Amino acid sequence: METLLASLKGAFFLCGQLFLIIVPLTILYEFLKTKQAAIGAHRRSFAGISGNGLIPLLTGVIIGLTYGAGVIIHSIRSTDITKREAFLILLYLSICHAVIEDTLIFVVIGANGVILLVARFSLATLLTYLVYKTRHLKR
Amino acid sequence: MDSLATLKKGFLNGLSLTVDMIKVIVPFYLLVELLRYLGFIRVIGGIFRPFMGLFGLPGESALALIAGYTANLYAAIAVLKPLHLSSKDVTIIALMLGISHSLPVETPVTKKAGVNAWPLLVARVAFSLLAGMALNLAWKLF
Repeated sequence: METLLASLKGAFFLCGQLFLIIVPLTILYEFLKTKQAAIGAHRRSFAGISGNGLIPLLTGVIIGLTYGAGVIIHSIRSTDITKREAFLILLYLSICHAVIEDTLIFVVIGANGVILLVARFSLATLLTYLVYKTRHLKR
Repeated sequence: MDSLATLKKGFLNGLSLTVDMIKVIVPFYLLVELLRYLGFIRVIGGIFRPFMGLFGLPGESALALIAGYTANLYAAIAVLKPLHLSSKDVTIIALMLGISHSLPVETPVTKKAGVNAWPLLVARVAFSLLAGMALNLAWKLF
């Protein structure tokens, strides 16, 4: 019985810590959603990802695939993003998304956040660039 | 006024997310504590030791990997916390789980965006495992 109580206490303490991380983030996400138009105006492109592609990319990287799904799907379908660019965007996002939340919740239980961020960003960027290059050569 | 509405919406989203999170974390956390109390964690650890050894992780952390891949990161964290791993171990498994998690929920999102989901799914799991091995090696070197 005492073990059960201690476990319950531990579980709810963990939930409390995560609550403190999640609420500021969901508030931030709502504010970011109102700022989307400004991001799409960028003209530069990297690794096959254009200004239009930056909206779903940044939404996914910051907000995540589950919570940002609506924006990501809508912004890919409603602009002239090609299938190829959509694949590159989702490849990047597969490896690297929801970076703030994912990193912080693991930092709570003792992980090194800097290593996590650097590893995910560099792996996603490298992989997307390589796929972009190899597909580029094929054509 | 407008930003107040945005603030409220964000707060309510966070609240409902927390309720969902509690529903996942509490049962998983209690389950792991129960398994440990009954001695099953050691058995599971023994079975998975050779595999998890590839990442320099103890065998029982396989539970967190399974929970994260199939359910979500909250489940994985609920499993990890009672295992009391070192900071190095948590960082390695966090990287693996960060790259690949909630696969049944997130894979349909890539599909709905009009992209072939299979290569992405394979890439996520493969790079999750590779990144875990690489980080373990890097940790030994530096």
